[in-house]
Order: sequence, then C-alpha cells, then structure tokens
Amino acid sequence: MIKASVQPNDGLIVVRNIVKSFGRLLVLDNVSLAVEEGKTTVIIGPSGCGKTVLMKHMISLVRPNEGEVYFKGERIDELNERQLARIRVEYGFLFQMGALFDSLSVYENIIFPIQQHHKITDWKAIDELVKQKLAMVGMDGFQMQFPSNLSGGQQKRVALARAIAMDPNVIMYDEPTTGLDPIRSDVINELILKLKRELKVTSIVVTHDMKSAYKIADRIVMLHEGKIIADGDADHIRNHPHPVVEQFIEGKIGEADLAALRHGGTKFQTQYAKDDFK
Amino acid sequence: MIHSIGVKTIDGVANLGRFAIFATRAHVVSLKSCFSPKSYSLIWAQMNIIGVHSVPVVMVTGAFVGMILALQAYGQLASMGLEEHLGVLINIAVVKELGPVLAAVMLAGRVGGALTAELGTMNVTEQIAAVESMGTDPVRYLVTPRLVACLLLTPVLIVFADLLGIAGGYFVSVIQFGINSRAYIDFSAQGVELWDLGTGIVKGFFFGGAIAMISCYKGFTCKEGAQGVGQACTEAFVGSFMTILGLNYVFAVVAKAIYSTFWPVQSLL
Ligand SMILES: Nc1ncnc2c1ncn2[C@@H]1O[C@H](COP(=O)(O)OP(=O)(O)OP(=O)(O)O)[C@@H](O)[C@H]1O
Ligand SMILES: [Mg+2]
Repeated sequence: MIKASVQPNDGLIVVRNIVKSFGRLLVLDNVSLAVEEGKTTVIIGPSGCGKTVLMKHMISLVRPNEGEVYFKGERIDELNERQLARIRVEYGFLFQMGALFDSLSVYENIIFPIQQHHKITDWKAIDELVKQKLAMVGMDGFQMQFPSNLSGGQQKRVALARAIAMDPNVIMYDEPTTGLDPIRSDVINELILKLKRELKVTSIVVTHDMKSAYKIADRIVMLHEGKIIADGDADHIRNHPHPVVEQFIEGKIGEADLAALRHGGTKFQTQYAKDDFK
Repeated sequence: MIHSIGVKTIDGVANLGRFAIFATRAHVVSLKSCFSPKSYSLIWAQMNIIGVHSVPVVMVTGAFVGMILALQAYGQLASMGLEEHLGVLINIAVVKELGPVLAAVMLAGRVGGALTAELGTMNVTEQIAAVESMGTDPVRYLVTPRLVACLLLTPVLIVFADLLGIAGGYFVSVIQFGINSRAYIDFSAQGVELWDLGTGIVKGFFFGGAIAMISCYKGFTCKEGAQGVGQACTEAFVGSFMTILGLNYVFAVVAKAIYSTFWPVQSLL
C-alpha cells in the first residue's frame, strides 16, 4: 500500500488520509494529496472511481468519514455552512453536468455568484463582465437563453463561465471537455492555461481526455479503486510502469472485458467503396 | 424479521432527527433573513407563486364545502323545523375545521408537490450543490423564501376559503332553500364566535409551516433520478396530509383546554 504523509501546509489545498464511503460502498480509501498553489493538477481514473467525490471534498461539499481537509493551512472539513462561505468565494467549481439553474437565464446564472456576495450598482460593468466571460467560452450572445434551450456542450461552457465569474483563485473543473467537439475542447484547454498564466489560478481538473491532460497538467494523479496509484508529471505518467496506468492512458480494453464481448461477429456492410471519396 | 423491524425503527427515528435539525435550522435562518432586505425579493417571488396563484383553487374548495354542507344539512334541520339555524352549523364547521383543513390539504397538493418536485430536481441535477459551492447557504436561498411565504400566506388563504365557504352556504340556504336571509345571518352571528374564526386562522400558520418544511426536506433528501423525485413528491404529500390531520387534532384539544380555562362562564351557558 502506498502511504504518503502530507502536512496541512504542504499546499494550497491538502487532503490528508481521507476515507469516504457511501453506505457499504468504500469510495476513497485513505487518500492524501497536497495541491500546489498556481499549478494545474489533473486527476484521472476510471469511471466511478471517486474523482468527483475527491474533488468535492476539497471544497467541503462532501465531508470525509475520516481524515482532514485543509485550505491555506486551515481545516475546512469541520466548518459549518456559514463559515465555509468565506472560503468558497475563492473557488470556482464546474460541475460534471453543469448544474446551471434552470429557472434562471444564462445571464442570471452568471451573475448569481456576484449577486450573492456583492451589491451590484454598476449594471453596465456587469453586462460587460458577463459578455467577456461568455466570450471566453464562445457563448457570447446567449445571455437571454435558458439552460434548457442549450445543448449539453453549450450548458457546460456556460457553467464554466459561471465558475470563473468571480475571478476565483482556485478553479475545479469536473470533466471540462467531455461533450465538446475537439476544437472546443482545445479552446477550453487554452483557457485553463491562460488563466494559470495570467491570473496564477490554481486548477484541479478531473478528466478522461488524456490529450487534454497532457497539455494542461503540471501534475497528473491517477485514482484507482479509491487509492492513488500514480502521481507525477505528464512524462512520468506516459511512461508509467504500472500495468493499470498503462492500460488506462492508452485506452486499451482489458482481457476480462474482451472476453465478455467475444460473442458474435462484427461483420458489417458499407454503402460506399473507398474509391467513392476520391 | 425482528432485525428488519429494528432497522426500520432506527431509520425512522434517525430520519425524524434529521428532519428536526433541518426544520430548526430553516426556522432560525428564516427568522434572521426576515431582517435582511436582500432576501425580500426572493420571498416576494415565492409569495406570488405560493400564495397568489393558490387563491382560485382555495376559493373554489371553500365555496363547494359551504354549498355541500348546506345541501346535506338542510333536510335534517328542516325536518325538526330548525332550518333557520342552518347558518350556525355551516359557518362553525367551515370556519373552525373544514375551511382550514381543506385549504391546507389543497395547498399540500398544489404547493407542496411543486416544492418537492422543484427542489428534488435541483438536488439530483446538483443545482443545490452548485448554490452551496458558490458560498450561498442553500437553506437561506431556497428554503427560507418558501417557508416564509407558506407561513404568512396559509392563514390568508384560509380566510379566502372561509369567506367563500360562508358565501357558498349562504347562497344555497337562502337562494335555493329560501331560508329567511335575516334570520340566517342573525343566528350565524350569534353562534360563531371570534374565537372559532381565530383558531381556524391560527391553525393555518402551523399547517403552512408543516407543508413547507416537509416538502422542502423531501426535496433536499430526494434520491437520484426521475423515480426518486416522484417518490419524494408522494412522500411529501402523504406526510403533509397526515401531519395536517394530526396537528388539527392536537390543536382542537389544546384550543378546547384554553377556551374552557379562559371563558369558563361562556362555556357553562
Ligand atoms: N451522494 C452519493 N451517494 C451515494 N453514492 C455516491 C454519491 N456520490 C458518489 N457516489 C458513489 O461513489 C462512487 C464514485 O463516484 P464519483 O462520482 O466520484 O465517480 P467519478 O470517478 O467521478 O466517475 P465519472 O468519471 O463517471 O464521473 C460511485 O460509485 C457513486 O455511485
Ligand atoms: Mg465524476
């Protein structure tokens, strides 16, 4: 078993020996991780391994059964809602499904976090800000739409605009590029890089998209069956000796999964010959 | 068998405890936000949805209660020559019991169902977590406006139900059965006391609180998926309905005790 020892001040956000289970399902089993300030940490791992749960611990949306979570050296997993508000305003959190408020328009969604913490007097400036944030994700002009009228990828991008509306110091992206076309994905990658470069933002990114991970990551952490099994920069992960890691990053199917599929042939017909496209 | 009964009991008690914590917190937060102008616009919006839009159904309910009481009771009283006392019977029944309870049940269906479905959907699509992640207390943002609106407006809606119940009874008695209007009103005025009307309206406060708390709690603890939301709505309605009936009984007992303590002379008469 890999056991890392971290101290509360080892990073901007530190999770220490956390154990989390839902009923009988053990999701995180003694995970420790210190997230360095101003860097981009990417968390990878198979579906359902607890990446989202780990990320939610870092903003105290989920509380651990055991272990501690620290933000700037201060323990946050025991704070109540009101005390957490002070800390959460420094975060931007992009939910896996967007989690836009469907009773509010795109515009209202984006000003929501601002409205909650400031009294808005200068609406011109706010209009400008919303326009700018939406433009960053390529969604300017959709201000008056409602989330239910947007496609999944569009909702995701509006949600990202909302997450960065308050210019947070820490941004957590839960699968920012899932559901986007390859070009949009790369726009998001560039956005993450830009925010790090220009505003020194600390980013934590959960993703399945290895291309994106290699591009944006300062550090990649792999979670598997509730434990961290790999940790290092892109090159380290690319050449990792662990078979599970290797299999995951190359997207190779395992023997057991293959066996389950080995029924029936995969012959198919096409309507076109190769030469038709010449 | 015994094991499963035990597990169910413990679950039930734990759930009740969580509900109590939730309800206490909601009330404390609501009380606080009554003094912060920032939440007024949210409360106002909910009052519109919960209160104003419920007026028609509650009025229709009240009117039919009054009318049906008149229709059914007339025969009995007329056979004893007491038809002019019909007003007392109808109005006491409407103002004291049927108006408040039926209005509350209508609200549990109309408002409670919508509340649970809305909050439940927000819960399963992580919108509640999103509110939280932006440093806003979801209880303050989502529960408080709904609770305050229910608390303040259920009594008002009961007044509407009472009003229409009284009017409905009057129309059927006086116009359909030809009872002397003057006598009907005089007997009613003698028979119905301010106490009856008052207790009926005060009950609304408790019913409103119960509806809001149960519906919001069910929404907040809703299980995943469409089925989870559906189940939460059903549980919220059944829970609110039972609680309304239970509270109503408790309230009647308490009100009787208070009444006979403070109006001993009248109750002897
Ligand atoms: N609130 C919850 N209640 C019960 N179980 C939960 C809850 N949240 C997560 N789980 C369980 O925890 C496990 C890990 O979930 P998580 O969402 O972290 O996975 P993930 O790694 O983000 O997967 P994906 O890549 O598919 O998003 C899952 O098996 C899930 O069923
Ligand atoms: Mg996830």
